[in-house]
Amino acid sequence: MTAQEIVVRIQKKLLEQGIAWRAQTVDTFKAGVPETEVKGIATTGMATFDLLRRTATAGRNFVITHEPTFYNHTDQTAGLEQDPTYEAKQRFIRDNHLVIFRFHDHAHALKPDPLVTGSARMLGWTQYASATEPRLYVLPPTTLRALAADVARRLNGRAIRVVGDPDMAVSRIVLGPGYGVPPLTPAVDVSVGGESPEAGGNAEYVSDAAAVGQKKGMILLGHMLSEDFGMKEVADWLRTFLPDVPIEWISAGEPFNAPTASSR
Amino acid sequence: MQRTDVSRRQFILGTATGLLAGRVVRAQRSDLTAQHVVDRIRAHVGVPWRDATIDGFKAGDPATVVTGVATTVMATLEVLRRAAATGQNFVITQEPTFYSANDDPGNRAADPVYLAKKAFLDQQRLVVWRFSDHWNARRPDEAATALAAALGWSGNRIPEAEQVYHVPETPLDALVAHVRDRLSIRGGLRLIGQPGMRVRSVFVSPGPIAVSSAVLNLPRADVILTGEPREWEAVPYVLDTWSANRGKGMIAAGRLVSEAPGAQACAAWIRSLVPEIRVEAVATADPYWSAGS
Repeated sequence: MTAQEIVVRIQKKLLEQGIAWRAQTVDTFKAGVPETEVKGIATTGMATFDLLRRTATAGRNFVITHEPTFYNHTDQTAGLEQDPTYEAKQRFIRDNHLVIFRFHDHAHALKPDPLVTGSARMLGWTQYASATEPRLYVLPPTTLRALAADVARRLNGRAIRVVGDPDMAVSRIVLGPGYGVPPLTPAVDVSVGGESPEAGGNAEYVSDAAAVGQKKGMILLGHMLSEDFGMKEVADWLRTFLPDVPIEWISAGEPFNAPTASSR
Repeated sequence: MQRTDVSRRQFILGTATGLLAGRVVRAQRSDLTAQHVVDRIRAHVGVPWRDATIDGFKAGDPATVVTGVATTVMATLEVLRRAAATGQNFVITQEPTFYSANDDPGNRAADPVYLAKKAFLDQQRLVVWRFSDHWNARRPDEAATALAAALGWSGNRIPEAEQVYHVPETPLDALVAHVRDRLSIRGGLRLIGQPGMRVRSVFVSPGPIAVSSAVLNLPRADVILTGEPREWEAVPYVLDTWSANRGKGMIAAGRLVSEAPGAQACAAWIRSLVPEIRVEAVATADPYWSAGS
């Protein structure tokens, strides 16, 4: 089966699930030849150079990535043609006959959103999902400090950042992977997501809420630690209708190092 | 009519401050309004004023007589309280005030935190003006120059590259320690690259960074020092550059801490334009702590 044929199968499956393929979408081939015979599929949060190397080593040649490959949302390559990093990545893709397809808009369109449920599963929150609010999780009461430590331990995160009083009581959590963490409201204690502008959003809301005696918190997992695991759910979903192709999730991983102990 | 109100208020303030220090009295003898201060800024900023800009008044009456100017990276309620407590009724901010890029409260229009902030602004008759697009358009880049100065690199700029500085050769983790220390960073700093890599030059780019800027400048420096890179743009670009064995790195220090020296520089520049008014920066702290700590 070719990469193009697999994409057609995905589109057909989506239609069966009531999701029409969008005319305007970033979900397109980003590199490689769509007619390439697929030896195996790797789903991932992001097709980083490092991820592509591990994919090729694992004998997979079709990468289905949630995030861009070439450093901008629409994978525009103008301005990158002479760049040695871009050239090296493209050369690696060519030499290894890799094909890269983005699965972003239609992944979020699935019900439930696998990017949300994937994160919740990794965080151990699936059982706490609100029956009525899609991204709300009601946990046994804890503190922000304990919650953050548990999150860091479960995700093995090095660079997870937290805003708010560590001793605040926490139970109601809104989970929104990716960019633009869910806004804090009076109805939730903590917003957990991927990345969010430090200005013009929750960080300043937390500060202002504290100034009027309301405790709110935010945990920023980082974009990859918030969406990588959702692409594991996508791998599981692909397996339900592509039984004849090897499919595995390969983690893009957290891009950041925390400062080492010696630099603290 | 408004003009009369302002004059009367100014008279009362002038009387009250007769008991205070001379510097304060001098400051409050001015009858400059917030609009007057903005007019001077616009006349001297040195870049054409844009039609479409986020810079503008976000709260308060521009006709308010200014008793003092507070520059800040972000006008949090805590910053507003500190400004009000020291008689700085005109707050000039780099970043938004009302939780969105364009300061439209949107779904938070009835939110108690938003309403409390609005109420404080009204009660204290504070004026908030955003100064970001035009401040950041000045060349050389004011915030970058100020950040480099805060790190002790002022004399080290490479002439042929605008925001690239030589540093005494150091391992990346020691550079990180220096940045954390000088900028009083708690948990907001993140790093891409080998902690032991040798660093001789740094591209200094506070605040957010465009991926095009990272692509352009990374060949000119070992490390990018920035505030808040997008994690599907500059972050994977630098990560891939590292993977391509080009021996590069990036320090994401945090948006606010990276812009804080710029807010100090902005205060000094505005002071030069309105010497009759007290102008001071009000600091904001690194909002983050680390989940792993």
